[in-house]
Amino acid sequence: MRGTRAVADVRHLPRTVFGNRSLMWWGTMGYIMIEGTTLFICAVTYFYLSRNFATWPPQHIYRPGLVIPTIQVGVMLLSIIPMRWVDRATRRMDLATVRTGLLICSALILAMCVLRFYEFRALQVRWDTSAYGSAAWAVVFSHTTLLVLEAAETLTITALIFGDQVEERDLSGVSDNALYWYFLTGVWVPLYIAVFLSPYFM
Amino acid sequence: MSAAAAPVPQPPPAYEDQERVRRELEQTWAQPPGLWHWLRSVDHKSIAKRYIVTAFIFFVLAGLEAATMRAQLARPENTVLGPDAYNQFFTMHGLTMMFLFAVPIMEAMGLYFVPLMIGARNVAFPRLNAYGYWVYLCGGIFLYLMFFMNTGPDVGWFGYVPLSGPEFSPGKRADVYAQAITFTEIASLVGSVELIVTIFKNRAPGMTLNRMPLFVWAMLVQAFMILFAMPWVATATQFLAMDRLMATHFFNPAEGGDALLWQHLFWFFGHPEVYIIFIPALGFVSSIIGTFTRRPVFGYPVMVLSMIATGFLGFGLWVHHMFATGLPQLGESFFTGASMMIAIPSGIQIFCWIATIWSGRPRFTVPFLFVLGFVVLFIIGGFTGVMIASVPFDQQVHDSYFIVAHFHYVLIGGAVFPLFGAFYYWFPKVTGRMLSERLGRWNFWLFFIGMNVTFFPMHQLGFEGMPRRVYTYLPETGWGDLNLLATIGAVTIATSMLIFVINVVRSYRVGLPAGDDPWGGETLEWATTSPPPHYNFEYPPVVESRSPLWDTTGEMPVVTGLRTDVRDTLVTTLLDAEPDSKHRHPNPSIWPLLSAIATTILFVTLIFTPWGAVIGTPLFLLALLGWGWPRGRDKREQQLVESEA
Repeated sequence: MRGTRAVADVRHLPRTVFGNRSLMWWGTMGYIMIEGTTLFICAVTYFYLSRNFATWPPQHIYRPGLVIPTIQVGVMLLSIIPMRWVDRATRRMDLATVRTGLLICSALILAMCVLRFYEFRALQVRWDTSAYGSAAWAVVFSHTTLLVLEAAETLTITALIFGDQVEERDLSGVSDNALYWYFLTGVWVPLYIAVFLSPYFM
Repeated sequence: MSAAAAPVPQPPPAYEDQERVRRELEQTWAQPPGLWHWLRSVDHKSIAKRYIVTAFIFFVLAGLEAATMRAQLARPENTVLGPDAYNQFFTMHGLTMMFLFAVPIMEAMGLYFVPLMIGARNVAFPRLNAYGYWVYLCGGIFLYLMFFMNTGPDVGWFGYVPLSGPEFSPGKRADVYAQAITFTEIASLVGSVELIVTIFKNRAPGMTLNRMPLFVWAMLVQAFMILFAMPWVATATQFLAMDRLMATHFFNPAEGGDALLWQHLFWFFGHPEVYIIFIPALGFVSSIIGTFTRRPVFGYPVMVLSMIATGFLGFGLWVHHMFATGLPQLGESFFTGASMMIAIPSGIQIFCWIATIWSGRPRFTVPFLFVLGFVVLFIIGGFTGVMIASVPFDQQVHDSYFIVAHFHYVLIGGAVFPLFGAFYYWFPKVTGRMLSERLGRWNFWLFFIGMNVTFFPMHQLGFEGMPRRVYTYLPETGWGDLNLLATIGAVTIATSMLIFVINVVRSYRVGLPAGDDPWGGETLEWATTSPPPHYNFEYPPVVESRSPLWDTTGEMPVVTGLRTDVRDTLVTTLLDAEPDSKHRHPNPSIWPLLSAIATTILFVTLIFTPWGAVIGTPLFLLALLGWGWPRGRDKREQQLVESEA
């Protein structure tokens, strides 16, 4: 092995960084790209199959209910505000705000899970009724798997952050979780339009 | 470089200090012997070696399946395999080669060499890396267990509906197909995220994007292709599994479903898959040609742009697999044009390599021979590819042995030959010993001759009308002689593989010692010992050109200031690779393996009952919780680094 000569010293570099300076931020982005592609495929399938029917939904199937799904979209979009609050507090290392904000977000994501249960009912079709039902369930179910995972992650992070040994990098982890939250809630808007609103226009 | 990391001239460390540093790094990054530690390992080299060995075992299994099929087809009306077994054999051969050999081994080569080439100590997410391997291994074992229990998939690697649907494939064989793919997709996706983040954020200071080795560029393009291609087949197979298990109707025309939807979803993945396998091979070829012509590869920017162009165009060709399905003519014409267009970046790269060889001083070692073999075979496969991009020609040879010949030239010539070149090229780095050149030449020539004797006659068999996937044929067809010739070629390939295995086993034990840089390479992996230590480099190297080992004479410029008592790594900026932060890597852990076992329970039970989700999901979530929960050594080390402040 060759000899070495030192040309730079990095001992003063920070250990906790946020946003696209953090490795986990990029890992989360990778996950978002994979899941975003999966949700896109479900939506493509939904519209591809709609070409096989004269009407969409097919005859004798009710259009989906709108009340619960619209409340859900509202809750999801509103939840971005406290999560953004948490996100900004992590960068100031403001632990008290992070704790309060995460409690609110935990309550909100639990509410989203409950609302999601009623959203499946609002589809007013079973997955095995016809290809329409299969496609609509595929979109909502795919998003639900992400919702459940995010709920599990947010609740775990909240439990950790209330521990007595919170580390700086835990706050960076909270910030990366916020990035995924924005994706999860934001991506539901076009999917909601596709599954719940588009049957009223097609 | 940024102000935070402004060069601070320092005297070279005293010898005893260097020894201390080395000892501390050894202790911090060590993987102690024993099964328990082996199961917990998160060293990228250890994981990648497992990937490579496992994938090679699957390659041998798929090769044995191919040899059995060739034995069956050696003469008309043969009885080695019946129709049912033959269906399973060709399906397992395709599935194994594509999902358990080609993609994993290409990613594994990246997972081993990318960190070394970019001067990093490990991949970005070492535990995730281990999880990916364990999921892949569980998926492969599951598939072969089912095969040995006569429940191997029998619907082709493409699993077309309605054949693979509930009506025409009762039993569990098609479910095994669908779920085996899910396992391997997870592993591939995990690997791709690893590679992207490692390449983006862990490059040595000074290794700007335009100084990255071409192999690293190749792995980056491949990783992005995996990211956007694999979800298509993973989703499609989940739809198929649900059609079979839960009576959904995605592919059931009677209820508004669509059989062609499957083909679109599958080939939107399936065609990029070819380039996912092929693009890393381009990286091998560039590495080998550069080293053995002793000059940087001609046309670096054009080479990079060609790989990126191939990555994009690879997503625009999928319909050429569906020309026989009666699509609108305008669409077919578009995809003919797109299919021909992808020959342009491939052609550019071939010309760049020829220019490199022309203007360099080639050394005809075994790795270089494999690259020359690649050029010849890939050009043949490329030509037939341009031919079948044309709809009228494709209609004539569709589903015939001409297609079998074409894609074996592309895949064996385009990917397996460079891979074997890469084995011979990097074996000394991995093991510290050289492979035998003499056995290597036997390996090369028998493989090259055997490959042509096996697959060239298949072009003619296709012209004579022999369809793919038939388990036998009548003597009156006149296909017997060419089939016998192809079988003789297969035996020749098998012999060459046996020589390779003997070479590896023998050289691993008694091969000539390699030294750090036996070939005089230009990239950073040759700057460390062979085999590399667990921490790869004592100090992160600093890169000042595209060929750091050729352009930097004397002492290697390095960065100091990382801790040696915790697993410290350096994170750099995306474009210019300026030092940006320090990151403490996670320690070895059993949780990636436990999470993979939970994943396996989830997927396997889902084949039999939807309640599998109810059993498997909580197990998986529990495993993730165990994975992420801070404890023991991790906590102590975190306190250590926080005491810095």
